Amino acid sequence: MEKLIVCIKGVPEPGSVKVDPETHALKRESMELILNPNDRSALEMAVRLKNDYNIELVVISMGPPNVIPLLKHAYALGVDQMVLLSDRAFAGSDTLATSYVLAETIKKLSPFSLVLMGLKSIDGETAQVPPETASLLGIPSLTNVKSLFMEDNKWIAIRETEYGEEEVEVEGPLVCSVSPTAFEYIRPPSLKRLLEVKNKETIVWQAGDLNLDSQRLGLSGSPTQVVEVIEKKIETKGIILEGEPEELVEKLIEVLKEKALIKN
Amino acid sequence: MIQYNFTEEQKILIDLIKQIGEEYIKPYALEWDEKEIYDEKPIRALADADLFGIIIPEDYGGLGWGSFEMCLAVEKLSYYCGGVSTTYAASFLGSYPILLFGNKEQKEKYLPDIAKGKKLCAFALTEPQAGSDAFAIKTTAKKEGEFYILNGMKQWITNGGIADIYIVIAVTDPSKGARGASAFIVEKNDPGFSVGKKEKKLGLRASVTTELFFNDCKIPKNRLLAREGMGFIVALRTLDFGRCGAGAQALGIAQAAMEVSLKHATSRIQFGQPIYNFQAVNHTFADMAVKIEAARALIYNVAKFIDSGAKEISGASSIAKCFATDIAMWVTERAIQMMGGFGYMRDYPVQKYFRDAKCLQIYEGTNEIQRNIIARELIKYYK
Amino acid sequence: MFERINIENLSKGNILAFGEFYRNELNNSSLEILSPLKEVAQALNKKLILLFLIGSLEDIKNLEEIKKSLADEVWFVVNNELKDLKDDLYTEVLAQIVKSSQPYGLFFPATKIGMSLAPRVAGALKVGLCAHVNYLEVKDNQIIMSRPTYGENIIAKLVSKSSPVMATISLGAFNIKYGEREPLMKEIIFPENFSWSSKLKIRNFIPSKKKLTKLSTAKIVVSGGRGLKNKETFQKLFELAEVLGAEVGATRPVCYEGWVEEERMIGVSGVTVKPKIYIGFGISGALQHTVGMENSEFIIAVNTDKDAPLVKMANLALIGDARKILELLLKKLKN
Repeated sequence: MEKLIVCIKGVPEPGSVKVDPETHALKRESMELILNPNDRSALEMAVRLKNDYNIELVVISMGPPNVIPLLKHAYALGVDQMVLLSDRAFAGSDTLATSYVLAETIKKLSPFSLVLMGLKSIDGETAQVPPETASLLGIPSLTNVKSLFMEDNKWIAIRETEYGEEEVEVEGPLVCSVSPTAFEYIRPPSLKRLLEVKNKETIVWQAGDLNLDSQRLGLSGSPTQVVEVIEKKIETKGIILEGEPEELVEKLIEVLKEKALIKN
Repeated sequence: MIQYNFTEEQKILIDLIKQIGEEYIKPYALEWDEKEIYDEKPIRALADADLFGIIIPEDYGGLGWGSFEMCLAVEKLSYYCGGVSTTYAASFLGSYPILLFGNKEQKEKYLPDIAKGKKLCAFALTEPQAGSDAFAIKTTAKKEGEFYILNGMKQWITNGGIADIYIVIAVTDPSKGARGASAFIVEKNDPGFSVGKKEKKLGLRASVTTELFFNDCKIPKNRLLAREGMGFIVALRTLDFGRCGAGAQALGIAQAAMEVSLKHATSRIQFGQPIYNFQAVNHTFADMAVKIEAARALIYNVAKFIDSGAKEISGASSIAKCFATDIAMWVTERAIQMMGGFGYMRDYPVQKYFRDAKCLQIYEGTNEIQRNIIARELIKYYK
Repeated sequence: MFERINIENLSKGNILAFGEFYRNELNNSSLEILSPLKEVAQALNKKLILLFLIGSLEDIKNLEEIKKSLADEVWFVVNNELKDLKDDLYTEVLAQIVKSSQPYGLFFPATKIGMSLAPRVAGALKVGLCAHVNYLEVKDNQIIMSRPTYGENIIAKLVSKSSPVMATISLGAFNIKYGEREPLMKEIIFPENFSWSSKLKIRNFIPSKKKLTKLSTAKIVVSGGRGLKNKETFQKLFELAEVLGAEVGATRPVCYEGWVEEERMIGVSGVTVKPKIYIGFGISGALQHTVGMENSEFIIAVNTDKDAPLVKMANLALIGDARKILELLLKKLKN
């Protein structure tokens, strides 16, 4: 079976967001980046499949160099090869530009049998990159995947929709975004691999290494643009009550009775 | 307050334990204690993180590190939950007999799985009539051809039922007294071996303690460790190595108790100021700090002493275990007092630290027995 | 049954809305999104088209609902291969329609299916896609799409420089409105050589055991955030909900912590609620959440922080420990 690829993203620690006042894009270089929480499920699925089928596992992340610790963390979880896509030209990319870079990287890493990603990131929360990347690669995509295995050379996936679960059979390589609730247990990094990783190289690719069309990168390659940003100012609207819990609960019950939610 | 110069590797180890503690233990510890639940997830996490292999040689898939790193791991883990660290440390206790006395086949058969955390170990010496008086054990092991048949029972065995490998000390020749016992490796599925009910404990409630029953338990003769008659030597040597672990648990629990109660004392306002401003309170914390740092320095030093290959470690390890576990009891009791009513409420963790710490003065040799050992060793040194 | 029209003959420059049918059931979000899109279409002087991809015409169960919708026209693509959701095939079909009819805009509801298809189509067409838009307006002949963003109290207004303009529209953000005239119904005929093949095969379907939450239409919502401290306390909201006849909602952080299923998340990437009464326990009111409930008629906030956004926007705020107050409230209500 061909190699597995997993894509991860570094996101700002919630509450530490800095937005560039001109471009309205996130200032990623200056921030402490953590692993996008949903990517943990993708990594867990990737490592489980790597172990089950004994295949090579590559991790890719697009971001500034301060994303490298996250790649090393992925290595400590069981990933074999780390790839960083880093270039000033990528800054300000929307999901289309991002998907373009990822798709070209995945092509460069071909052949592969599967690409895994987290369902969505906690900063953008669009959930768009996995299907968009698959579309650019011309391969199928499935979102909200809870489980995945190989049968007769085809991938069998269970995906979640609002209506229930579907068992889907897919030919050929595909892109899956993994449901954040796919696993009850997600493994921690391995001490042995944490000790090994300092001797492991991260491959770093820039736009030039991937033969990218500069028009399709960064802000110029991002058709969606922020034109205005409005801060929501909230004025105090109603009554604020302080006091002992008993008093407050009495008042609450009074209001609920008034609104006929509970009987007198 | 006293900083230690850890190596890069030790720092990575400490960091990893903290990550595991924060994610797999901290959100659940109080609930496990309240409901007396053993959850295998943190143990699985420790296994996946290679942390059961700390003292196992590299040849068998471990990290080949020593007591010092084991103590660091146990200490930092105990900060999050004494129950979980008991399951973890007791498994080391159960692996020491194989490490120290196993022959090549036994090591090859068991150590790799132990290093991977695939199989937990338990150490079974205590019986209803044989606690501190370990020599009073009555479980027998009779040789019959290619097998040994074990009969008897063990009491208060940590990891009973969840371990796959049990080191059982049984009498092979009653006429030989202290030289009449032998150490055996019993596996979970051996015929005639069964596990009793889970005990209801005051503390360390996330760990499992049970009786073990041997009813004509039949094991192949290659399960004998070392030679017949070496049983107590195996047991006592194992305890020599294990004591530091119990002391390390005490460190972690005491540290947690001090931090929680300190945070409270600096924010609890009474009489118009934080109670930490009152000498009765801040002096208590000063004493806590003194005792904890002293215990830490002692444990670390004794661990390094053991790692240096010292032959006679009984006295040193007893001193470390005895002192650290006694101060942990003192610190946790004072921590409750410093938190006043809050300390008494089960919504807060400090009462759990107190209950967890108590067991440390009792198991792996009561602190009274530790003093026996220290007194005995003392006159060897100062004739 | 309907007028049959060849794909090359489709009218051009319209506003297209993707209608979601799953196992012959119409998803109401498809009708919800027509409300803002109708206004956009009118402002731009364009037609609003509702588009369905289905297995067979017999499968349409909610035809009456569709006839009452705001759409000017309803287009159906009918082929047995479309019976199951095959992302790759659906994408090809939608891409083909876009190529032939060159719509001005193409919009999807932000359902799991919509979020799965819209990006594929955007990738196939190499155009921009805005996610979780909860407000649309037209300025200078351009569609401006709003969404809260980046965890700050910031609303971002976006445009798409590519064509067609594409976006997924937040669930529950709009009410279903009815049209004055029944839409023209058309069945689109695809070229003979169009390939209906797919690399996906749906082998099995297990319906959801849990009932779909009626959160988006609930009249009373009791909601919990991190101020409730732990999962056990959060679950007590269900007891309160039963007494009050309410639905339970949650903030994003507590869904991520696993205190409750993500279907109960209220906010920009979850559900929008417009109840008569909303009670938030231990919720500070980050913008991500408040955009999902700010149109509640009467808001009650229980929080220790006087300056919390939800406290400020509440009609009644109780400053206290949410956990204690919830537990005390339950105790009193049960007597």
